[in-house]
Amino acid sequence: MPNEKANLTFRSGVLIAVAVIVIGIFLYVKISSSSTNKKTELLILSGAGLIKPMEEIAKEFANKNNVIINVKYGGSGELMGQLSLGQAGDIFIPGAEKYVYDADKNGWIKKHTITKLVKHIPVIAIPYDNPKNINNINDLGSEGISLALGDENACAIGKISKKIIKKSWVKEQIKTNTKVYAPTVNQLLMYVVMKQVDATIIWKDMLTWAESHQSLKSIEIDPSLNIIKTIAAGVTTYSKHQKLSEQMVDFMKSPEGLKIWEKWGFEP
Amino acid sequence: MNLKKCLSIFTILFAVIIALAILSLFTQSGSKGITDYLFNEEIQYSLMLSLLTGCISTTLVIITAIPIAYFFARYLIPGQKIIKTILFLPMAFPEIVLGLCLLLLFGHPLVKEWLSVFGIEITFSKTGIVVAQFFTALPYAISTITTVFSEIDLQQELVSRSLGYSQLNTIRHITLPLAKKGIAAATTIVFARCVGAFGSVLILAGGSRMNAETLPISLYLNLSYGNMDMAITSGLMLVIIAFAGLFIIEIIEGNIGHSITDKNPDTRWNV
Repeated sequence: MPNEKANLTFRSGVLIAVAVIVIGIFLYVKISSSSTNKKTELLILSGAGLIKPMEEIAKEFANKNNVIINVKYGGSGELMGQLSLGQAGDIFIPGAEKYVYDADKNGWIKKHTITKLVKHIPVIAIPYDNPKNINNINDLGSEGISLALGDENACAIGKISKKIIKKSWVKEQIKTNTKVYAPTVNQLLMYVVMKQVDATIIWKDMLTWAESHQSLKSIEIDPSLNIIKTIAAGVTTYSKHQKLSEQMVDFMKSPEGLKIWEKWGFEP
Repeated sequence: MNLKKCLSIFTILFAVIIALAILSLFTQSGSKGITDYLFNEEIQYSLMLSLLTGCISTTLVIITAIPIAYFFARYLIPGQKIIKTILFLPMAFPEIVLGLCLLLLFGHPLVKEWLSVFGIEITFSKTGIVVAQFFTALPYAISTITTVFSEIDLQQELVSRSLGYSQLNTIRHITLPLAKKGIAAATTIVFARCVGAFGSVLILAGGSRMNAETLPISLYLNLSYGNMDMAITSGLMLVIIAFAGLFIIEIIEGNIGHSITDKNPDTRWNV
């Protein structure tokens, strides 16, 4: 009977729907109960490029102090936008220290908490086998080279690579060779790994994983041209856990914290 | 309270939540910000680029989807379910995955070389925007138009054939005119989908400012600069385009007293 069949389909449909809802509620309760043990929670607004060391530092600090650390990753500009809206966040640690000082000027950061942590070094990233024989920044201007660079407003590396290139005598050729100005650093890395472009300028620490897996290689930029940035952190003025937040910033700067930074390619 | 009342409240509740969410986008910044940026060069550029690429990809999608949809509605071949599943797959996975797949395919040295013979460059170009939009929207078009064709009575086509029209002539003079409104509605959905495509466009076309900057990319770029007003202006444009699209569908369907949501008035309780 077709009617019976339809009835059966309907019934099993309802059964599946109920099962999905029950599992959903169960998971939701489980997730929310695990994070509401009345532990203190800190929210870190972190530059997207710092994800690897930040995850480890947050985990270490959380275990030691029996607190919960949540990290929101984003582009430095994006995080600034969040600070401006006065949304939650206890510690601000963007990809370049300039943003910390800008935030301080706007009254979003407690000045005495600003701490310089590690160096952020721009390098040239190329495929590991270096098929186009790129050895310095001037080679980026050679004919037949295609480049991906960061957008100068959307990510810190974009602004800095623009300044570095401006100092080079092949700046016009580099401009011609640039095929794409990507809004995120992840895209830059992806396009080189996938050999869509021959090179990019990116933070050295972002290549740690790719270099150890021999998919990408970094080339130092001539020190007379390079612009090395410092990463700094600060506690926000509207943090409800000032003391704990300051402890967290101190931990990032401690020998134990610095060891984690170094592991991921950041130099103290 | 009777069921009608319960369901009305339930439905209105969700409409209100969505309306509030959209409204909060506009109340976030001062209204001055939006009017300032409306005529900003970057916003104008991304609006024009979105409309242009959207029109091109929508045309290509509809031209491609009609024969495929007709095939699915009228014929059955072995393995058809698998073919259908493959074609619908991009609907089910995140756009960013689609973008990655397209980049791997069209960025492949062999494909790149072959295309460059015809002077076509897909990665990091405006052509890339159209390609990304095309593959993002195609499954929606196929699925909608297949439904439209399936609902057309086969008898009418049979009568036409028996009176001497060839198969192609039957499609031209009987099937397509009957499907006209459905295809028009599908076109509107596809256009909104193309203009709104983000992840695939970002990955394949690169998302360079003032080059591959469609409205969703402009929204994302400005969000990452921290320029909320400009981001919200792009968002506003996208909401207006979506609203206009859905409204047009309502009008198209209202005309013939048919609608996807309102197919047959006799299905309503008369209370």
